[in-house]
Amino acid sequence: MPADHLSITFAALADPTRRAILARLAEGDATVNELAKPFRVSLPAISRHLKVLERAGLISRQRAAQSRPSSFRAEPLEDATAWMDTCRQTWEDRVDRLEAHLREMQR
Amino acid sequence: MITVTRVFDAPRELVFKAWTDPDHVAAWFGPAGFVTPRDSVDIDLRVGGRFDLSMVRDGAERRLHYEIVELVEPELLVLKSDATVTRVELEDDGGRTRMTLTDGPYPEDVGRGAGAGWESAFEKLAAQLAA
Repeated sequence: MPADHLSITFAALADPTRRAILARLAEGDATVNELAKPFRVSLPAISRHLKVLERAGLISRQRAAQSRPSSFRAEPLEDATAWMDTCRQTWEDRVDRLEAHLREMQR
Repeated sequence: MITVTRVFDAPRELVFKAWTDPDHVAAWFGPAGFVTPRDSVDIDLRVGGRFDLSMVRDGAERRLHYEIVELVEPELLVLKSDATVTRVELEDDGGRTRMTLTDGPYPEDVGRGAGAGWESAFEKLAAQLAA
């Protein structure tokens, strides 16, 4: 996955309201009205957040229905998670080698 | 953002040296399967200075460029690449050293507290995905 896709995913996730929206949508589809209820933000603000999430591919929205319910899309998060797992493994490997090297330094 | 914590049986000054002296960095930085040639390591040890090195495997070289954005000897080193921030904190633990390393792609304006919130929210989402 190109790095700029990851950047878009992480930028979309860098806002607490958008993360809360995603967590809600992971449990099931919801309309803008349903999403706005638990947050103290306006409907237009929710719509703006949904646009950011949609551009990042983290949600999709039905075109036909008047209420346009939003659905959670897992793929970008799975890519982000896979990238983080690779990153974590790289650092674990490095830290293992650092630990061995520190032993060498003290001989 | 990922976090790796490790306690080394070595004094903090030595761990800091292993992170900042090119001779030592070259010895361990290339992860498993990679080497970091000594002459590829170019460190200008000051805030704003560079921290550049290569990872080589099967003749293929991957060049990494970092900028040193925070430096407090012997307890803190923060490296920024164009996409990530790597933070290395060293705490003295009775002659041993506790290292906390975080690495993550987050916007510069996201502070540490927000970063931690981001991480827990991300893990919650990941758990929901796995369910």
